[in-house]
Amino acid sequence: MINAFLVFNGQGQPRLTKFYTQLDTSIQQRLISEIFTLVSNRPAGACNFLPLPPLLAASGTSHSSAEQHNDVPSLVTYRHYATLYFIVISTATESPLALIDLIQVYVESLDRLFENVCELDLIFNFESLHTTLGEMIVGGVVIETNMDRIVAGVRAQGTVAKRPVNESRGAGLGAGLGMGGNFVWAGR
Amino acid sequence: MFEKSLYDLIRGLRNHKGNEKEYIQNCLKECRQEIRGQDMDIKATALLKLIYLEMVGHDMSWAAFHVLEVMSSPKYHQKRVGYLGAVQSFRPDTEVLMMATNLLKKDLTGSAPTIIALPIAALPHIITPSLANSVLADLLPRLSHSYPAIRKKTIVTLYRLALVYPETLRAAWPKIKDRLMDKNEDPSVTAAIVNVVCELGWRRPNDFLPLAPRLFELLVDGGNNWMAIKLIKLFATLTPLEPRLVRKLLPPLLDLIRTTPAMSLLYECINGVIQGGFLGDSEDDSGREEIATLCVNKLRGMITINGDPNLKYVALLAFNRIVVTHPYLVAQQEDVILECIDSEDITIRIKALDLAQGMVSSENLLSIVSRLMRQLKLSSASQSDGLQGAEAEADSSDDAPETTRPAKKTKDAPPLPEDYIVDVIGRILSMCSQNNYASVVDFDWYIDVLTQLIRLAPASRQGESDQALPSRTSATDISEKIGNELRNVAVKVKAVRFRTVQAAEHIISRLYTDSLARHSIMSGALRPIAWIAGEYASQLLSPNDTLGHLLHLVPRITAPEILTGCLQSIMKLFAVVAGDNQVLWTPERKATTSLLMGRVINVLEPLALHPYLEVQERAVEFMELLKLTAEAASGQSPSTDEVQQDPPLLLTQAIPSLFNGWELNSVAHGAQINVPMPDDLDLDEPIHPDLNRLLSQADSLLLPVAEDNEFDVYYNQKLAPTSLSNEPAINRLSQAATEEISQSYQQQAGEESYLDPDILARRKAERMERNKDDPFYIPDLNRSRSATGGASTPIHNILQNANGQGLDIDSIPIMKLDLGNISGSSAPPPDTSRQQQRPPPRQRIVVAADETLVGSGRSTPRNYESENNNSDGFTKSRAKKLKQQGLLQVDSSHLRDLSLEVGADDDGPNRADEDAEMAKAMKEVQRLRLEMQRANERIQIAQGVPDEGVVVKKKKKVVKKKKKTTDVEAEGEDAVEVKPKKTKKKDKEKAPVAEPVASEVPVLGDVSPPRLEESGLVSEGNVWSTEAPAAGEAQGDDEVVVKQAKPKKKKKSVKRVIQLDDEGDEAGNVMASG
Repeated sequence: MINAFLVFNGQGQPRLTKFYTQLDTSIQQRLISEIFTLVSNRPAGACNFLPLPPLLAASGTSHSSAEQHNDVPSLVTYRHYATLYFIVISTATESPLALIDLIQVYVESLDRLFENVCELDLIFNFESLHTTLGEMIVGGVVIETNMDRIVAGVRAQGTVAKRPVNESRGAGLGAGLGMGGNFVWAGR
Repeated sequence: MFEKSLYDLIRGLRNHKGNEKEYIQNCLKECRQEIRGQDMDIKATALLKLIYLEMVGHDMSWAAFHVLEVMSSPKYHQKRVGYLGAVQSFRPDTEVLMMATNLLKKDLTGSAPTIIALPIAALPHIITPSLANSVLADLLPRLSHSYPAIRKKTIVTLYRLALVYPETLRAAWPKIKDRLMDKNEDPSVTAAIVNVVCELGWRRPNDFLPLAPRLFELLVDGGNNWMAIKLIKLFATLTPLEPRLVRKLLPPLLDLIRTTPAMSLLYECINGVIQGGFLGDSEDDSGREEIATLCVNKLRGMITINGDPNLKYVALLAFNRIVVTHPYLVAQQEDVILECIDSEDITIRIKALDLAQGMVSSENLLSIVSRLMRQLKLSSASQSDGLQGAEAEADSSDDAPETTRPAKKTKDAPPLPEDYIVDVIGRILSMCSQNNYASVVDFDWYIDVLTQLIRLAPASRQGESDQALPSRTSATDISEKIGNELRNVAVKVKAVRFRTVQAAEHIISRLYTDSLARHSIMSGALRPIAWIAGEYASQLLSPNDTLGHLLHLVPRITAPEILTGCLQSIMKLFAVVAGDNQVLWTPERKATTSLLMGRVINVLEPLALHPYLEVQERAVEFMELLKLTAEAASGQSPSTDEVQQDPPLLLTQAIPSLFNGWELNSVAHGAQINVPMPDDLDLDEPIHPDLNRLLSQADSLLLPVAEDNEFDVYYNQKLAPTSLSNEPAINRLSQAATEEISQSYQQQAGEESYLDPDILARRKAERMERNKDDPFYIPDLNRSRSATGGASTPIHNILQNANGQGLDIDSIPIMKLDLGNISGSSAPPPDTSRQQQRPPPRQRIVVAADETLVGSGRSTPRNYESENNNSDGFTKSRAKKLKQQGLLQVDSSHLRDLSLEVGADDDGPNRADEDAEMAKAMKEVQRLRLEMQRANERIQIAQGVPDEGVVVKKKKKVVKKKKKTTDVEAEGEDAVEVKPKKTKKKDKEKAPVAEPVASEVPVLGDVSPPRLEESGLVSEGNVWSTEAPAAGEAQGDDEVVVKQAKPKKKKKSVKRVIQLDDEGDEAGNVMASG
């Protein structure tokens, strides 16, 4: 299952935190900063999977049986779009490549909802971020990967606010989050 | 409107760069005010702001009650904020959750699908066993809601309920199964079910075998890749139980592999083939061989052709799974895998290393290890280059991570993280040493590698090792591990022992020269290295120098474990250096020996007061022995031209005999257990018949003051070493001499204390220079044997002059003269040259196996068993502990105990019992419930009738559950009031008046007054703190009301929760009184 879904920007400021287990705010922040340290030190051509951050590695290594291993978060997948990092922490039962696709679906759905989404949209409408995620993942289990249904689901819960008119858009964000740039496989 | 909206807050945050903290504090203050107001709009906005700030790291647990208020708002957009707040901020210890139960139940049964979806999506985040128990009845009907979106969310939520409350599945599984079987079901609902089934599947595969046909159908004509992946994963857990599935699955899987455009699906197909055991045992048919090659080739393609790092990573993951069952298949891909070891991506590297470890052989060991060594070497080089810069960066990065990070990023070759280095070194060692060095063909090379590793091992920083920080100790650990390896080689491989000893000698001298500065020695490698030097001192090139180095190093060693090892080695070295009985007892020898003893004593002296007993004991022992010897030496007048004098026996016989015994061999781990216990040893026999009395006497004994002083003096003041121990009788015979000698040592100590180490080193060098020309000086003899030939001694020169260049003195096989090697079975004949002594590659080298005690039949298995048991028990207990701590982990182990078979035969009779018991308990609960009800009615007559029916039904479940499980979770919920409940349920006694309150676990009101006070609600003047007695005192007469309530339950429950919003005070009364 999926243990957490995080979004933060290039400075490590969280834009969305969703933990599918209850976790102290301070530990959440520590985990985020540990992952940020890992993710921001990745070389350009690196793969989308991170080694376990120290917080998770400490609790994950000492399990002996394979069965128990399936309960332990052991996979940290990330994608980098323009100024944002999207992180999924999951157990070994999820498919690594499919998770990369899942992040893509999420970002594309946001793109549809906000029309050329940029970081500012996400900052000011973090409630919509939660709603969109809620249409895809409930309780750590993926319930929908079809973008049309996700978007329809979000719209059914009320209109998605547009970004404030007078808020200037940062340069370089204009092209959205750089959709599908290095997207190699057509998942889903 | 003076209140900030979320938009204002965020803009403000962006405009207050620099003093954000202050700004946030102000905002928090405002939010506190706003959220307490009456206006629901302002409340909701404040909550939304708090949720935003929580994301950034500002705790909002204090607002839990207000979250509840907003959740209960009738307006959807406010309610949504409330639910989001609950999801984001409720923690396991959030107490107001109890009060949310009815609200959740109400929203679950609401009419608008958007509202129903809110509690469904929130429940997985806040679920507890008791909450699961109470909402289950309302959640189940949602499985057949007309909206597919509601249905699929409900399914997943039920799964999460089942994780904490397995009974959920008993009721929900049949319905979920029906949904799955229904071919007209919305495809996305089916996909959600498949996701859940997959999550359950690896836990209890047996239960899902009957579903296989339907799942197969879905796989074949699915079209949803995510679901297909899940199905394949599920089948991979099913096929081991039902091998016939393999034949059925293969065609569609192969079809998918060949046709799918989605790489993720392709990969999971291959993965499923691997994990599901499709590759088989090759006994079946040749078709499997074909599949295996197809898969492996596809994986190979992922690594090589595509150049996509993600594919590399997942391919390595897959190889890691294949290597367990089909190592030969992976071994064929060795070349590409080894390439990955050098990948710039550490994630890929680690995975490749995992693999490499599993496929090491004598052919590829050299290349694998040299790849790794090169990495380490390069990183250490880059590290030492930018050492200052890196350190400065590390310091500043704590304070301002944003500013330093870009700089770090631009550096093209970042130094490897320390834990990675430690990891790699550990892997090198285990790769080389596995199977008793089966893969190492060239031990000379291995020794070189080890020597290099000791230098590359991350230095544990000063002063931190004794604080037992895990990261630091791992660094000391690793260098000790390297040292241990070197020692193992020295012990086990006699053919290269000489080389190993040389290496040890070299390392010691390097340690000595490298660390002339005054800081302490932390390298854990020193202990085993010193052991080698001591144990095989006779093979050292220059025992004298090594002894000197060790003597210099010892005062700077802080770790007591290393000290104990070094002390022993010093003594052994001394025995070799000074204990030669072939050499005449000349005045020179007398002088140097006394000097040497003086130095050793001087080093040992401060350690005699060492706080670590093991060190203290050894130091005292050896010091006294040396003093005795020194006496004897000074008493023995040197031989002159006329009189031949032997050196003192104490020096030549007694001390060496301490260390000359059986050769030490490596002993198998756990062999100790097999040592038979002597018949006459009775461990249960008391040491002293009256031990207890003696001990208690010792405890109560009041020492006289004078003795106390002595005690103080003993520990706090440095005494003259002679007074430290009970002197043996022989000492007293020549008291005068001892004093004289020890005084001379004192002088020397003074000299050392004021001279700088480098001067001391120079002096030492001078001394050696002086002695160099003495043909009888032992060290020089040794040096002349040195392969390096650096020293040109008279003997060397004379021999060379006499024999001309024809004689290569270095080629004389000196090593064969050593006693230690004569017994070596693998030793080459004595006339071979040194070159040949070194085993040429591929030569079979005898590696001594671990010794274990033979004869006691079951020796090895027994060791194994006991060891495994121990470690098993250990990990189990540790795992248990971790289960509580396991970050982010959802524990699904409860599920294993529950059978999904409806009305399963195994719990037939039990159930009847349970039912009977439950009926009894239910009656009791109902009675109590009524009493409580009356209490409520008395307090608020205007209130109407609470939803009796629902509660009673739910009650039943509570009892049932409590019967089955322990009451642990109940205790967690409410420490104050749960106790009476327990007794009531078990004993079925007449409950005292106050108990009704207690029986109400899952309903809103079950929060005890003290807790409310804790959470600060009382201080707000809320009536929530209404005391329990209010409920207790009121007991009336209205059974009728209850019965009426049942048919109206929906309406009632709605009414009741609305109270929460509008008439908070009264609702509070209901809740508090339960």
